[in-house]
Amino acid sequence: MKDKDDKKSAEMLKGTLDLLILRTLELRPLHGIAIADRIKQVTAGTFEVGPGSLFPALHRLEQGGWIRGAWGASDRGRRAKFYTLTSAGRKQLAAERKQWSRIVAAVGQVLDSA
Amino acid sequence: MRAIDRLRHLWRALFRTARVERDLDDELSNWMDELEERHRRAGLPPAEARRRAIAEIGSRDIMKERVRDHRPGRAFSGLRHDLRLSWRALRRAPGFTSVVVLTLALGIGAATAIFSVVNAILIAPLPYRDAARLVFIWADMSDSGYPRAPLSGPELNDLRQRGTLFDGFGAIWSTTASLSGDGDPEQLRIGLVTTNFFPVLGVTAAIGRTFTEEDDVAQGPPGILLSWSVFQQRYGGDPSLVGKRVVVNGNPTTVIGVMPADFRLWLPMDSSVPDKLQAWTPLRSAGLPRSPRGQQYLRAVGRMKPGVTVSEARQQVTSIAAAISREFTEYGSAGRVLTTIGLQEDGVREVRPSLLALFGGVAILSLIACVNVANLLVARSAARRRQTALCAALGANTGRLLRQCLADGLILSGLGAAAGLGAGYLGLKTLLALRPAGLDRIATAQMDVVVILFTCGAALACGILFSLGPLFEVTRMDLLQSLQRDDRRAGGGGRYRVRAALVVVQIALGVVLLVGAGLFVRSFLAIMRVDPGFSAERALTFRIAVPLQRYRGRPAVDDFSRRLQAALAAMPGVTGVGAISHLPFDDLPNWGGGYLARPDADPAQTPNADYRAVSPGLLEALGVRVVEGQLFTEADDANAQPVIVVDDLLARRAWPGASAIGKQIRVDPGSQGSPTTMATVVGVVRHLRVRSLVADLTEQVFFPVRQALRNPLAYVVRTSGDPAALAPAVRRALAGIDPLIPIYDVRPLDDYTREARASGRFTAMLVACFAGAATLLSCVGVYGVIAYGVARRRPEFGVRLAMGARASQVVALVVREGAVLAAIGLTAGTIAAVGASRLVRHQLYGVTATDVVAYLAAIVILGAAAVLAAWIPARRAAAVSPLDALRAE
Repeated sequence: MKDKDDKKSAEMLKGTLDLLILRTLELRPLHGIAIADRIKQVTAGTFEVGPGSLFPALHRLEQGGWIRGAWGASDRGRRAKFYTLTSAGRKQLAAERKQWSRIVAAVGQVLDSA
Repeated sequence: MRAIDRLRHLWRALFRTARVERDLDDELSNWMDELEERHRRAGLPPAEARRRAIAEIGSRDIMKERVRDHRPGRAFSGLRHDLRLSWRALRRAPGFTSVVVLTLALGIGAATAIFSVVNAILIAPLPYRDAARLVFIWADMSDSGYPRAPLSGPELNDLRQRGTLFDGFGAIWSTTASLSGDGDPEQLRIGLVTTNFFPVLGVTAAIGRTFTEEDDVAQGPPGILLSWSVFQQRYGGDPSLVGKRVVVNGNPTTVIGVMPADFRLWLPMDSSVPDKLQAWTPLRSAGLPRSPRGQQYLRAVGRMKPGVTVSEARQQVTSIAAAISREFTEYGSAGRVLTTIGLQEDGVREVRPSLLALFGGVAILSLIACVNVANLLVARSAARRRQTALCAALGANTGRLLRQCLADGLILSGLGAAAGLGAGYLGLKTLLALRPAGLDRIATAQMDVVVILFTCGAALACGILFSLGPLFEVTRMDLLQSLQRDDRRAGGGGRYRVRAALVVVQIALGVVLLVGAGLFVRSFLAIMRVDPGFSAERALTFRIAVPLQRYRGRPAVDDFSRRLQAALAAMPGVTGVGAISHLPFDDLPNWGGGYLARPDADPAQTPNADYRAVSPGLLEALGVRVVEGQLFTEADDANAQPVIVVDDLLARRAWPGASAIGKQIRVDPGSQGSPTTMATVVGVVRHLRVRSLVADLTEQVFFPVRQALRNPLAYVVRTSGDPAALAPAVRRALAGIDPLIPIYDVRPLDDYTREARASGRFTAMLVACFAGAATLLSCVGVYGVIAYGVARRRPEFGVRLAMGARASQVVALVVREGAVLAAIGLTAGTIAAVGASRLVRHQLYGVTATDVVAYLAAIVILGAAAVLAAWIPARRAAAVSPLDALRAE
């Protein structure tokens, strides 16, 4: 049964992962694992993004031109690739945010309707 | 994303692959280290921390592959990768690869060579300005046996005056003239052209000019226009020649220009205008209306005004013909009928059906080749089923697998196209070397851009087409089933049936080609056996023109001719000598005219005959058969009563059931347009097939050359030895009498008949090549299917052998399978061939379209080949070791 639940959450994540990454990077540049930490922390553990999903997603977003990666030093002095939101990414985030609100509102209406 | 970024990414992905990959590796290692460190700090022992980190990242290769999938240019680099994989796989199977590539090379090569020819003849326009506006005008005299006769001077004049839809009408007829003054005298083939002939064709001179309207009305002697070859060979290509004078027929004549090297007259074959004319002189318009309307010698070409269609032009020409038929009584009740036909269309009239038949043959062959390749690829993909399933299980998605199939197809079709271009080039060279006279225009055929595009298109189409087969296999593959189940024991019956059906189709198509080849070969053999009514072996021919300025008067000419003939006859080994106006299968304009065998016959219904002037001894030297009466003697000269010899065709038609000897007949040796000369028939000979080997075209009338002077004349010298060895002695004999007379066209007589047979030989040979290729391909097809079946049934054979079956029984079992396929294919093919051969029945001679020999030969050859192709894998089946086969379970 546990397997099935996991699958469900992964599916839900799939649509929203980009949005979560962009939003996380809006505040400040972060390296990959720090992004996963941050999402887990903010959602109080609801979304645990494994490297298997996060790593390709970051590269996909970079190819899309929404984020840009650059090598830097992590807080513990370790070499790491930091991702920064680009201006195109900011626009994309705004658009996705809007889209998300509309979905939430719409789904809410359906659920709240008698 | 901005375009510039996109380009930067693409650039990095494609050309900085190593750096991008290194970066990716670094980042992954970095993640791994980070994760490992966290686990260690959480208190895990180092080994366990490392293990967890690795587990979290998962397969680095899959991860990298997923990142790569998002890169721009992924399709490119992916395809590159796939191509490399395919290439390696194909190189590991050199037998399979070479069979596929050779099959394609054969199909594509044949298609390329034939398409080059079709393109040159049927598609590419004639090399004249706006060639589509050019039409050829014939006089249709079908009632007299000449559906395509030339026009007379007054008729050309009528067309020029009344043809409002035309920019102009030009005309040509050919003759010969001697060129002298510098170097040895030389006899040239001359085109007598109206001064607007070249402007109408739309061609200009390479040096100097062509004729103009001033030349048409000028009073002085006309100029001469030389061909490039005469200009080069006789005058060393010295451009200052233009404007200078040369001596033509003894008259000083100004060279006005030189035609381009590539200029050729592409007039229809039966217009009897040699396409290799060496010079042109003008035919002035003023003389045109003065000749009789019955004197037809002009080959007329019209240039339609822009926007006029051929059918509009034809309508106008037809109505002009109707008008002059009413206006001039010369035409009698039959009137004059003129036909108008596009110049290009007319030129290919004779060869179009054979070319299209060839093209059909090529289409069949290419189809067989494609079917074969598809078949081989399907067999291969079926054999690699488990491998493919493994790939899929390891994470290859359907797209990847499809791409892999496409890569196979692309590599094979690429190799096939390259090999095919090579084969096509060689094939075209061979075609050009063997081309018959009627297909002369294929000399211009070459592998041009159109042809190469055609080949590449064909190869690509093939590549995509035969990728489809295996794709079908891959896409409907059920992964688990393939892995779990042993495919070799599985039925797969449906797929086998499809492939077997393909092989049946292949064999059937092969039968059609083989039957066609059999029919054409047999009709060629029949043509070889035709008795033309004369003997072409061991005879040397040459032509000379007596210079009439120096030999004034008929007695002088006759005297020269007698002395030469006597000198030739005195040469050792010579058994017969004579002179004639036209050699058999000559390219000179045909000479003919009407004849009236009864005084009361209607002049409007004059039948036509081919006229030939012969010296005493000529008919004997040609070896004709005398039906009755006698041949000419030296007594039949200008002072004697006019006499003629006719062929049995004319004798039968004019005096059925009665002897022709002594009969009076009116003929027209002077080409006055109507038969007015009364002559007595002294002899009848068997009809001579001198213009067609396969048909008795028209009646023939032979005049004594002393009574109907023709110049130049062709001499026939029959010898008991090698005719070619006679040439130096002949030259010496002529030089002993008159060293200034040029001798030309020195050739053995059977050169002419061989040329006449060339077309049949060419067709037979081509079709035989196709049939050979088709047989080969069908064998490959049968082999492929049977070998595939044998591979699948190895365990079964093992069991059979283990249970005590003899090897011969297993062989028989497998061969029977091939024989059944062959039998079905042969039956279907025979039925198809009966239908298809009806399409070519008009091109056959001496065999019917249902010739039993051709059909039996095709069935036996293909049947035997198919059984042989099945026997090879059958032996492999019998050689299966029972233990091995069972262990494979």
